[in-house]
Amino acid sequence: MLDMTNRPSGLANSPATIASVRDLTVHFPSKRGMVHAVDRVSFEIRDGETLGLVGETGCGKSVTGRSFLQLLPIPPGILAQGTVTFHPHARCGACAGTGCDACNSTGRRPAACPSCTGAGCAQCNGSGAETVELLRLPEDRIRRIRGDRIAMIFQDPGKALNPTLTIGDQLSEVFLQHRTEELLDAAGIGPEDRGLAARLLGRLASQRNGSIDNLLLSLPPLRGKRNLLLDALRNNVAAALAETQIANPYQIIDRYPHELSGGMRQRVMIAQALACNPDLLIADEPTTALDVTVQARILELIKDLQKRRQTSVLYISHDLSLVRRICDRVAVMYAGRVVEIGRTDRIFRNPSHPYTRGLLHAVPTAATKRGQLMAIKGTVPELVDPPPSCRFVGRCPHEKALCRSKNPELAQISDEHSVSCFIHDAAGAADAPSFDEKTQ
Amino acid sequence: MNAMNDVSSKVDRRADDVVLAVRNVKKHYPIREGVFQSVVGHVKAVDGVSFDIRRGETVGLVGESGCGKSTLGRCVSGLSDPTGGGVYFGLSKAEVARLDTLLADGSAAAQAELAQMERRHRIDRLEGAAQRHFRRNCQMVFQDSFASLNPRQLVIDIVGRPLRVYREASGDALTERVVSLLEQVGLGRHHLYRFPHQFSGGQRQRISIARALALDPDLIVLDEPTSALDVSVQAQILNLLYELQRDRGLAYLFVTHDLSVVHHMADRLVTMYLGRVAESGDTNTVFETPQHPYTRALIAAKPDLNDDEGRTMQALEGRVPDPARPPQGCRFHTRCAVATPMCGWEVDDVVRWLESSKGVFDALEGVDRTNAFDAALRFSSEAAARNLASTLRSDAIPAAMQQALEDVTVSGGAVRVRFREVPEVELTERGPGHHAACLINPSHSSSGAN
Repeated sequence: MLDMTNRPSGLANSPATIASVRDLTVHFPSKRGMVHAVDRVSFEIRDGETLGLVGETGCGKSVTGRSFLQLLPIPPGILAQGTVTFHPHARCGACAGTGCDACNSTGRRPAACPSCTGAGCAQCNGSGAETVELLRLPEDRIRRIRGDRIAMIFQDPGKALNPTLTIGDQLSEVFLQHRTEELLDAAGIGPEDRGLAARLLGRLASQRNGSIDNLLLSLPPLRGKRNLLLDALRNNVAAALAETQIANPYQIIDRYPHELSGGMRQRVMIAQALACNPDLLIADEPTTALDVTVQARILELIKDLQKRRQTSVLYISHDLSLVRRICDRVAVMYAGRVVEIGRTDRIFRNPSHPYTRGLLHAVPTAATKRGQLMAIKGTVPELVDPPPSCRFVGRCPHEKALCRSKNPELAQISDEHSVSCFIHDAAGAADAPSFDEKTQ
Repeated sequence: MNAMNDVSSKVDRRADDVVLAVRNVKKHYPIREGVFQSVVGHVKAVDGVSFDIRRGETVGLVGESGCGKSTLGRCVSGLSDPTGGGVYFGLSKAEVARLDTLLADGSAAAQAELAQMERRHRIDRLEGAAQRHFRRNCQMVFQDSFASLNPRQLVIDIVGRPLRVYREASGDALTERVVSLLEQVGLGRHHLYRFPHQFSGGQRQRISIARALALDPDLIVLDEPTSALDVSVQAQILNLLYELQRDRGLAYLFVTHDLSVVHHMADRLVTMYLGRVAESGDTNTVFETPQHPYTRALIAAKPDLNDDEGRTMQALEGRVPDPARPPQGCRFHTRCAVATPMCGWEVDDVVRWLESSKGVFDALEGVDRTNAFDAALRFSSEAAARNLASTLRSDAIPAAMQQALEDVTVSGGAVRVRFREVPEVELTERGPGHHAACLINPSHSSSGAN
């Protein structure tokens, strides 16, 4: 765990969180009624931590992850309620991004609120940090955050990469969208420059070039500068690929996605996601499609990059044994709700929601006798207009009358461990001990 | 009818019966090129695999994607014919021993007896009643239950079809048989007249299992039956499979990439790498004392809920080589952390190394091979050739590879490299029923392994 308390910062109240989700509720209309895919989900992602979001198919974990970048299909989806606030980082003022003690030698610090410059005002809730409300951000502003401040890695690299573009072309887009000034700088064009050359190159460096631009840029007076810019772009792409330990980045640049293996494609995705040093990385089952041997390599890579850049990670997965390895904190989701959240060691040593316990017992291990896996009885409930009850009702071994009439709220049961269950104490005593003995 | 009686008299349910014997099975797919589609090479998906499945036991088949485990599963269930070797069905223990002697014996008399045995037991040589007998006794459950259940058929048609094809039942009797099958897999009468899309993933996999059970088979080949399912549903299916096995004496061939599932389910384990068996043996023995570096790497890479918290996952370097040109000696030597000079270093290793290093590979014009261990690499310039020769003598390449190099000579723009010639690494016995295809004894080299 990172120590949040004495992290130095110039802001009034340095936010320990990079992003927080409050009461997020997403509905999807269907023929039979409204599907409550995500129902009042709240959690926060702390600065520099890896938060695991685990749950089974259809529990709403991917919808939650995608809502950060407005990637949900709305409409038809309906954002009924909730906020996702994000505190972006900016280059550290003390060291100009080279890394110093004030920024934990990452070169980046929480950005100051533009209206009060860090003193604390109503707009930033007194924290002094820049606060962005992601869900209701207009399209042009969310575009500037996507891939730059918040990046995403998708499950299936075969589908997420464009098969008609080379690796180099796809990675270039990230730089053309978010690093236009630096590219122009490489071509010798400063921010004050006007004139035809600057205009044309400016359009090229922000993906607004048309065929006439291309023609003009290929003529001798401008060709040199254009080549400088494209060389810088190519070097940036190669550097991003090299970060993910691809052995020969300049050869990979001209390949198409189908020419690469699954592990290699996932590396390209990671290179793309990390190209702009994002503050928050949302990894949606990044290793599910890969072999265990490749999986270990990819996770090592994410971990290593995270350590160097202090990136916070939201790791969405269904694999409990994996989440236990790589996450600082874990949120368990069931049927659109967070049922348990807390520090990884607390959750795995003392799982307090019956669902979490059920999941942990369902994983086959060397110790479980054959035919003795604890399967959770029943199936996941349909989320069409659900009743106001605990969603685990009907599958829970400790069910009471109260569970059928009222929805339990997340309540803290110990330091850094919250559960939404009325009867977690009684349940904990009943069938948890076997797991406790093993892990302690 | 004779063949039918012949077979059925032998298949009584004795515990030590071998349900299925796989002997030196090869499945090579031709690579065709050019206008005339001439065969230029073969992808060796499965390349000489042997093992037995005994009555009532579960054999786990594990490996990375592309190692040939699914192809082998298809060969075993008769969905594709092996291009070499054979799969033998319904032999008693004594007959398997006889088969092994016959296969080793090259005499004409032995060949004649073998041919006779193959007509009755080798699954791609079976005909008529004997073939039907095999087909009904060997069923398969596939990974993707969306693709393996006909979306236009009702459950009663899907599960009842084997019964109808084999004229086991019809009319009301058929319905009752289907209901009892559905009840065995945890479904019920009310599911009879529904389509596959009306079920969840776990329920569809139950329907697949019910269909496989319909003819009361001896062996079910399970090709990744739970990898598309959530853990809680996976637990239900694994429990169900175990109960069915206990009650009916079924044998399973469990093809999967998930080591924790295999550890839980399998009695014996076969690890495959690039079309060959790397290690086989009793599951617990293999997990406790893995003898092959590849098995060790697989186990080290897999996170487990029971691990100590400090344990790190070990990644495996490199990638699986091209199965059309599998490495010489031990196929794993290109990625092995404890490889020795005797592990089969060859010319392709130099080429692979060149591919991953910038600049030098562009200068390579061609490779003239005498054999896999001896070749001349032609370069466009003498400087590039000298450069390679000096790198081959430096620390840039693995020490084991360097020691295996017998000769490096530069003549003009060409470098002649010759490696020590070594035979293919065979499976050797490491304990009772425990075999591994590795030259080194891990107890001597455990320091280098992890």
